[in-house]
Amino acid sequence: MSRNSIKILPGALVCEESKLRGDITIGAGTIIHPSATILAEAGPIIIGDCCLIEEQAKIIHRLPFDEQDTEKTPVLIIGAHNVFEVDCHVESPKIGNCNVFESKCFVGNKVTVTNGCTVGAGCKVTEEQILKENVIIFGEKCQMREGLDRPGLQTLQMETLSKVLPNYHHIRKPNKKN
Amino acid sequence: MSYIVSPDVVKYACTCGLLKPISCLYFCRYCCELRCGFCVCHEVDSHFCGKCCENLPSSEARLKKNRCGNCYICPCCQQELSTRIGSKGPSNPEDPKSTPKKMYYLSCLYCRWSSRDVGIPDQGAATGGWPERENVHANRLQEVIEGYKAFITAQRQQKEREKKKQRGKFISYTDRTGVTAAALRKRIGLPAEVPNTYYRNRPKPPEVAIAREEVEDFPEDLLTKALNLMEITTIDQRLLQPDLQPTTVDKLFPIHKQLSIKRSLRCRSCEHNVSKPEYNPNSVKFKIQLFAYYHIPEVRIVTVEPLRAGKTAELILKFTNPTQHQTVITFLPLDLTDKGGDGDREVVGETQSLNLPEKQPPSLGGQPSSLLSLSSRQPSITIKPRPIRQATNCSIAIPGSKVILPPRDDAAEYDDSGETHNIQDDTKLVVWRKSNKAFVKLAVTPDDGLELNTEIVAGFTMQHIYTNTIATTVENKEPDRHDHNVRVFLSLGNLVGSE
Amino acid sequence: MPIYETLSDRLTVVLDIGAAYTKFGFSGEYAPRCIIRSEVRCKKTNQVRRIFDFKDEQDLYDLLVDFIHTLYFKYALFSPKDKPIVVVESLLSPTLFRETLAKVLFVHYEISMMLIVPSHLVSLSTLGAETALVLDVGYIEAVAIPVCFGLPVIHAWQALPLGAQAIHNNLRTLLSSENTGINQLPETVIEDIKVRCCFVTKQKRAEQFNLAKPDITFAPEVKYPIGGSDIITISGKVREKVYEILYDEDNDHLSLSTMILDAILKVDMHLRNQLAENILLIGGSVMAPGFKARLKDELHKQLKYERYKKLRIKTFKFHSPPCKENYAAWLGGGIYGATEVLGMKALTREKYFLENRLPDWPNMRDNRTL
Repeated sequence: MSRNSIKILPGALVCEESKLRGDITIGAGTIIHPSATILAEAGPIIIGDCCLIEEQAKIIHRLPFDEQDTEKTPVLIIGAHNVFEVDCHVESPKIGNCNVFESKCFVGNKVTVTNGCTVGAGCKVTEEQILKENVIIFGEKCQMREGLDRPGLQTLQMETLSKVLPNYHHIRKPNKKN
Repeated sequence: MSYIVSPDVVKYACTCGLLKPISCLYFCRYCCELRCGFCVCHEVDSHFCGKCCENLPSSEARLKKNRCGNCYICPCCQQELSTRIGSKGPSNPEDPKSTPKKMYYLSCLYCRWSSRDVGIPDQGAATGGWPERENVHANRLQEVIEGYKAFITAQRQQKEREKKKQRGKFISYTDRTGVTAAALRKRIGLPAEVPNTYYRNRPKPPEVAIAREEVEDFPEDLLTKALNLMEITTIDQRLLQPDLQPTTVDKLFPIHKQLSIKRSLRCRSCEHNVSKPEYNPNSVKFKIQLFAYYHIPEVRIVTVEPLRAGKTAELILKFTNPTQHQTVITFLPLDLTDKGGDGDREVVGETQSLNLPEKQPPSLGGQPSSLLSLSSRQPSITIKPRPIRQATNCSIAIPGSKVILPPRDDAAEYDDSGETHNIQDDTKLVVWRKSNKAFVKLAVTPDDGLELNTEIVAGFTMQHIYTNTIATTVENKEPDRHDHNVRVFLSLGNLVGSE
Repeated sequence: MPIYETLSDRLTVVLDIGAAYTKFGFSGEYAPRCIIRSEVRCKKTNQVRRIFDFKDEQDLYDLLVDFIHTLYFKYALFSPKDKPIVVVESLLSPTLFRETLAKVLFVHYEISMMLIVPSHLVSLSTLGAETALVLDVGYIEAVAIPVCFGLPVIHAWQALPLGAQAIHNNLRTLLSSENTGINQLPETVIEDIKVRCCFVTKQKRAEQFNLAKPDITFAPEVKYPIGGSDIITISGKVREKVYEILYDEDNDHLSLSTMILDAILKVDMHLRNQLAENILLIGGSVMAPGFKARLKDELHKQLKYERYKKLRIKTFKFHSPPCKENYAAWLGGGIYGATEVLGMKALTREKYFLENRLPDWPNMRDNRTL
């Protein structure tokens, strides 16, 4: 955790106030709000295209407790079009595309997230499992159901943000070419 | 506000014997008694939908089975569904002029269930038009109900005819067994055929269902196929639709939202309302709000010295006068046997037989219910107050002097010119006062021999002068002032050890 | 809805308070408005309490006051005062409970009249039948009462503590042998596991369970998530074995099937075949997948034993009521409530206060005419 190496691809919008630590690659079209936290402790994090990471969201790449002594440096690959809503906390070792992590949810570091999953507001998922495609976790008791298709994309919201955010925040310059 | 909902350390004894914080109590101005949610009569005032805030008259609400016609809840998680627009491609792809058609579907923002999940086609209009499902047994049940209705009516008419004939042969049976005359006849072996008009004109009973030997087969799938939990509904989801009780998620259909009501509360002894909300569902105000908070001096605990068994501790209470009239507070010892001071109230209990009020129509006994409900509102029955169960384990030295509380003056809150009152206070009792508030010092002594950490409860009777502003007659302009006693219980915290 | 119903002010509430679930609705309707758990949230401790877990009469009174308040003001949405009510209850309902319920309804809610109908008898009205053997498998117990020509044959009643509660306890025990922390699970989770994962297996397979080396492969196991932080495994064995408690004979050689046969045995000879060919199963527990098929097999198996040979029953026939079994008794009450029986036989408030008691069948005063 000594070296910070942030690679930002052109088209990404990363606010300076966001807290980024470790080796992180941010894909094109991704928006990272101020005060979002991304910590690459165990290994590099690669964030795909068009992800939305909102305020107070935490993405932490951390090895499970029982594997911490090993020398592995796994890479956390986060797919495209994922939405990390306000104050979510995600430690998942693998995240596919088009997932939504709603406000204040918690995803433990043994939960592999595939594609199109939704973790509902306030849900705490820690038990080792692989979330099937289009699974929706909701409610106090973390009920699960299978959705018909993936959650809708946040295109409109992201368009607005990409116009508004630069007006009020300092933006990190993209430092890598496609 | 946080004070009102915080742990109830100061409780008032309601007239019915329950202890409640002042925020949960009402004060009936006509009886001059405290009332609470338990001892008032609740009535439904108006129906409305909590989502669209539409007001429904009660007849319409009844017609719609107490459900809103336009709003739906999610059959999966019971949250409200919202209508979403999903555009569909132009009706005629070749024609460039045709605009995309707007289609509506229902969607749950919480669990992301949508009406498309179960294959309900999108609708062209935003409101309504969603398919309604009928009970599959509706026809059969209607037939059964009609059959029984006719049967019982015929039986009743026959009974009346028999009565006219003054034969008195007809035997009546208890409600519990539900024996019909026909059944008994069969049982004791009398021929069913009786030379009697009733049996000749007997209405056709509903067709008897046929029992079958074959039953639902065992679902063999269960033994071999892996179970997908996500396809099976939970018991809550099933019971949400009692007539269908779907077992798999593909049969979950949107449910009309249950209506909500506004309630008015009525004092049981004098039939006056103690609380009546405004009709408009958007309004949170009341037409009548006789909350105790506006009539009874409020007691709050300010400080209490550490409590030790047998040792006297200092307790400071704050008294607030919420009314527009000056009041005087007198401390009296707690009397748990006292029932509130009015002896002539009608009481009802297990041992005493009930005396119903005289006003009732005399012939209620055999009337069908439809006639009964048409008659005017019946006076309520007063329930005998319960003995107060709360025990006190701490004595309060009852001061001899009284505390005068000036009326509430909202403007005084902003008046910095200092105190203008000239009330001669007993300085040993009143520590400090400002506008309508007074801080009173009392000495409390927890009982000897109590265990450590015992919760200490003290109690006293607060007598205050209540000024009744309801002018009983026009001539009587002078407001009616009289003493009102309230029993107050204070939870002072736990007993601590010696120094 | 027909116009005459809207014009008359008549709305009769039909109430069936079960040990686990309460069925609540209006007479003349085809299904209850709601089926909710018979429990209330205690205002003092903020914990959910079952109504049947009451401590004493006063406690029960308070619980019922709160519960009926929810029913009327959350679901029925009208004032109970001066309105009639139909209460469906088991003939074996405890006296303390029914008297307290009557007191709550008459004194606290001031209803005008109350008609109490026995659940086994009224369930038959959904069929239009007069004679049948009714087996009610509820939460606490299973009760079988034959009804002949519209008359419950009370002396033939059979009851065993074989209901959902027994199944839940059994499930807890079975799960505990394979998983940890089962005892901490609330009953609602156990119930959910039962409802979603378990089923009544076939008789042939059940016979294999007791052998040393069962010659069957169990149903596939299920991974059941508990909240987001735990997953328990429900093996096929558990899924199949849970309901066996209903069919295994206890020390007195009694089970669900013997209850039915014993009840038939106690009835007059020439009614026996008729009862065997008119069996009505009600109560939520009979809705388990495979329940009926298994019960039928078990009944035939029992017939081979000496004890029941003299019955000379060849076939068993089962009714399928025009509703879900868990509210069949309620529906029966609803049909009764729609007729004029209410005005004729209901206990009015005046009469209740005059006599200050509730008529009951074990009381000779109410049975004098029989």
